[in-house]
Amino acid sequence: MNPKIDLDHVCALANLRLTKNEKKLLGPQMIKIVNWVNKLEELEMDVSKGEVYSSVSFSLPFREDNIKPSLPAREALANSPEKSEGLVKVPKVFEVK
Amino acid sequence: MNLTSLSATKLRTLVKKKEIKAQEIILAYLKRIKEQEKDLSAFITVLGEKALASAKSIDRKRDKGKLAGIPVAVKDNILTKGIRTTCASKMLEKYVPPYSATVVNKLEEEDAVVIGKTNLDEFGMGSSTENSAFFPTRNPWDLRRVPGGSSGGSAAAVAAGEAAASLGSDTGGSVRQPAAFCGLVGLKPTYSRVSRYGLVAFASSLDQIGPLTRTVADNALLTQIIAGSDPQDSTVSSQPVPDYRKEMRRELPSPKAAYLKDKVLDGIDPEVKDNYYRTLSVLEETGAELREMDFPSWEYALACYYLIAPSEASSNLSRYDGVRYSFRHPRYSNLKEMYLNTRSEGFGREVKRRILLGTFALSSGYYDDYYLKAAQARKLICQEFEKAFKKVDFILTPTAPEPAFLFGEKEDPVAMYLSDIFTVTANLAGIPALTMPVGLSQKGLPIGIQIMASFFQESCIFKLAFLLEKKVKFDNNKLNLRKRRSHV
Repeated sequence: MNPKIDLDHVCALANLRLTKNEKKLLGPQMIKIVNWVNKLEELEMDVSKGEVYSSVSFSLPFREDNIKPSLPAREALANSPEKSEGLVKVPKVFEVK
Repeated sequence: MNLTSLSATKLRTLVKKKEIKAQEIILAYLKRIKEQEKDLSAFITVLGEKALASAKSIDRKRDKGKLAGIPVAVKDNILTKGIRTTCASKMLEKYVPPYSATVVNKLEEEDAVVIGKTNLDEFGMGSSTENSAFFPTRNPWDLRRVPGGSSGGSAAAVAAGEAAASLGSDTGGSVRQPAAFCGLVGLKPTYSRVSRYGLVAFASSLDQIGPLTRTVADNALLTQIIAGSDPQDSTVSSQPVPDYRKEMRRELPSPKAAYLKDKVLDGIDPEVKDNYYRTLSVLEETGAELREMDFPSWEYALACYYLIAPSEASSNLSRYDGVRYSFRHPRYSNLKEMYLNTRSEGFGREVKRRILLGTFALSSGYYDDYYLKAAQARKLICQEFEKAFKKVDFILTPTAPEPAFLFGEKEDPVAMYLSDIFTVTANLAGIPALTMPVGLSQKGLPIGIQIMASFFQESCIFKLAFLLEKKVKFDNNKLNLRKRRSHV
């Protein structure tokens, strides 16, 4: 497989904007890396079987849903660049007409 | 007595016997840091006053913990409450966490002293610490060379006597490769053995925190403290944690170990190869039964890793958007532009490269061919390990294909990724793996060997490593930073 990588599309999906120089460098590097990982095609695997890896061998435990003290909002928001009245503040998403 | 060249175990004994105070230890290490940091740059943050205050309060305690007064350096992607944790990224340059990682709490409960936060490749992405957004760290064995990565700061600090032990994180070899480059013992524990709560996520199914130390006993000591269940991380196993230091000294009756076929070692540094075979001979002399083994899917492990890790990273790093985590680009006219400008300015080149690669592998039309295929290849690799561990107790490999390389030597990302060729398999399979130094190259650079075992067999790994340590007698004190300065 020789994939065409639409770098602008991938950047849009990743919320990244590359400079001209970065595009010049990263574009060919991405193709080189993808061609390199294409080595996996040599392995005979049946994708439809869906046998994939699970990171832990035990079933994840459940606990009682007891209410415990949690991080105070002031501390949780302390690193936010802009906040107001106990909430994070971001540019407007909707215009009010 | 030069306190900075003693092992953590020895320091612990001296404090316990009241022959030295925690304050004396911390003062000696802070002095050493002051003398050497201009050459090494192992630390992003040194905690001088705070470390001294902790030492004073430890000295006042009647019942001291198991790590009383031991200065431990912590990789700067492990959260420390109230202490800046940057991940060596502009994105988190001013981030001060509101809580500490479980491993940090566990160390401090046993009276260890966090002496500083160490440099890394940004968000743990790299094998040389050249990808730190702030500055590179130098290898104390040769200042012209990299200390390895991504836990390069943690490795350089311990090797140069700036900390008695350190914590790193290992996603594809980030504890073991720098430990090998700096002549240390480094462990990546079994996935789920150590809590990841408070470790800034890179690739969640691969990440594990592990200790870097000068001796095997020190490593066993730290692992025992940081391992074990954690109500904050449901992926941690509730299996009891053995007393690794006691276990380590027990007999290991005729261990069976597999070694790699010669063709797998094609292209690696000849001195690394020689040291590998020499160590195998030493083991054989001790009564170990060695057998050559073929791992056909191993040659696909790196490709598999470099799809899975970036895919998970692209998802984990989507949280850095200028809303919650300290950095926001000053110029934007709407929300979307704020995200774009913040992420484009806040992330370095390697992080962008991996986010893009992961986004591509997970994107519509490519998911089946890339991510899913890699997930299935991972299963095949695991099955090979399962089969192997029915026949042998250990698998031995070199840790890295070469000793520490020069700064700027690997500008091509694929060439850099090849540094992880022997280490990624343990992360993909979730098994424990330890590196220990077994020799020096002709240029005086440390060379490591990697010991892998089946799930939760850390005790067996420590036993074999302890045995080997006594036979190999690697001398960390051969490192002479003053002499090395002349190379710069």
